[in-house]
Amino acid sequence: MNSTIATAARKVSATFLRDARLMLSYRLMFLLEAFAIVASVAGLWFISKIVPASAAFGGGHVSTYFDYAVVNVAFVTLQTAALQSFESSIRNEQVFGTLEAILSTPTRVSLVVLAAGAWAFTFAFIQVAMYLAMGGLFGLHFSHINLVALAVFLILAITATVPLGVISAAAVVRFKQGSPTGFIFNRAATLLAGVLFPVSLLPAWLQVFSWALPITHALSGIRGAFRGATLGEMSYDVLWLGAATIVLMPLALLVFRAAVARARFDGTLGQY
Amino acid sequence: MRRGELFGLLGANGAGKSTILRLIAGLVIADSGTIRVDGIDVRSAPLAVRRKVALCATDERSFYYRLSGRRNLEYFGALVGLHGQRLRERIAFVAGLVDLTGDLDRRFDAFSSGMKQRLGIARGLLGDPELLILDEPTRAVDPVHAASIRAFVRDELVGRQGKTVLLATNTLDEAWELCEQIAVLRRGRLVAIGAPDALAAGAGGPVRYAITVDRTDADLIARTRAVPGLLELEVASDGDGMQLNVRLDGEPRALTELLRAVSANGVCVSSIRPQERRPADVFADLIAEAPK
Repeated sequence: MNSTIATAARKVSATFLRDARLMLSYRLMFLLEAFAIVASVAGLWFISKIVPASAAFGGGHVSTYFDYAVVNVAFVTLQTAALQSFESSIRNEQVFGTLEAILSTPTRVSLVVLAAGAWAFTFAFIQVAMYLAMGGLFGLHFSHINLVALAVFLILAITATVPLGVISAAAVVRFKQGSPTGFIFNRAATLLAGVLFPVSLLPAWLQVFSWALPITHALSGIRGAFRGATLGEMSYDVLWLGAATIVLMPLALLVFRAAVARARFDGTLGQY
Repeated sequence: MRRGELFGLLGANGAGKSTILRLIAGLVIADSGTIRVDGIDVRSAPLAVRRKVALCATDERSFYYRLSGRRNLEYFGALVGLHGQRLRERIAFVAGLVDLTGDLDRRFDAFSSGMKQRLGIARGLLGDPELLILDEPTRAVDPVHAASIRAFVRDELVGRQGKTVLLATNTLDEAWELCEQIAVLRRGRLVAIGAPDALAAGAGGPVRYAITVDRTDADLIARTRAVPGLLELEVASDGDGMQLNVRLDGEPRALTELLRAVSANGVCVSSIRPQERRPADVFADLIAEAPK
């Protein structure tokens, strides 16, 4: 059992190194990414100049728009990584022609897909760090941060959004096209999850959709951790994300397994 | 297939060779039937089978172009369970086998077609598999490198390493030269299996003869061409006269009719020699005889 876990860990590590080396072979992309982050943070700072501080931004505590938005924009990157990494992993392997070579080895498809998240999330955390560092330069406050709560919500943000990415990857395996799942959830997050404005501004009937998105609860918790809220004060969001993980993760793996089995029967696993 | 055997899978394009290879590797699941490798059912225990089998996809698209040969082998080596010093040693060993030691740190997109094919074989050997499946290993390789790959498969993989090799190929001479047993497929069905000599002997169909005559003229050529059952005629100069190289259908009376036509008008036939059947002839016969 330990040997199996160690072997799986080494395969994840090898996939991490592969993805890191591939991405590092495109150096210009890093510069563009850094520029995009600087531009994004600067844009939020200028917007915050015309938006007055409000309790709506701080869950009842008065907060600036900049503190509110820059944290959201930084951490929504984690959802983007979850939604895109698994899907694009399968899609890229199909298009590059490497999928069948990988699956000819004694490696489970689920491990191949989940391992793709290792570098994607590492890169997402680098982006988050860059957002926060830039935010700090523009005046983002870190003085009240509850690190334990932040760590818990980061884990839950990942575990609750990963299943959506796995389902998206299943769609790629089955239908051989970029799945719309990632696009829909990312756009929905912008509108409904409180990334650029508080959910409380939405009509009541739209707030129902906001409530159903994992990222809404993840961002709410992360913002709370930044202003020093305890896990007890945010227990509702913790439970919501925990329950979503427990329900969605096995469901997503089942859907993915079914998609792979079907593709194996059809002989289309490596096709694109 | 027997252990330590070099087994050929022959068939025209679309005959199902690659599908069978992918079925054995567990990439495709069969609608019916059973495939066992060393007694293990591919369908029920695909991972166990893949520890014993390596599908050498020599398709150059199956590598990461922006990584070096070594980085590619490191990644695929990890997927077959190797790590640390053992992985490094194994990479050095297989790179040496396929003569890529000095080129391993070049980026894959700088490799020639032959090097890419050899890297594909090296990747297959990383996990030290018992059964190596080669899918058209000499496709897109120049004749010199194709010959070296064939020699490597026969002498090194089977001869020295003792691997069992399943070789799918469109190249008839390759299968005839290398394989101890050959299975011929037609539209997904097995139409013949056996050693190359046995296949040649067992297959009916056209036969070739070399007939030496003292002279030829236009009449003789015209009479010969009119013989029922003549499929090919080639006239060549022989030291003692002229040689007619003919290909006849399998009907016995075709040779009788041919000799009657040739020897008319006083032409003297000095020898009739049956020719060894060419792989292409045997293959064409086997394909043609397959039940529809």
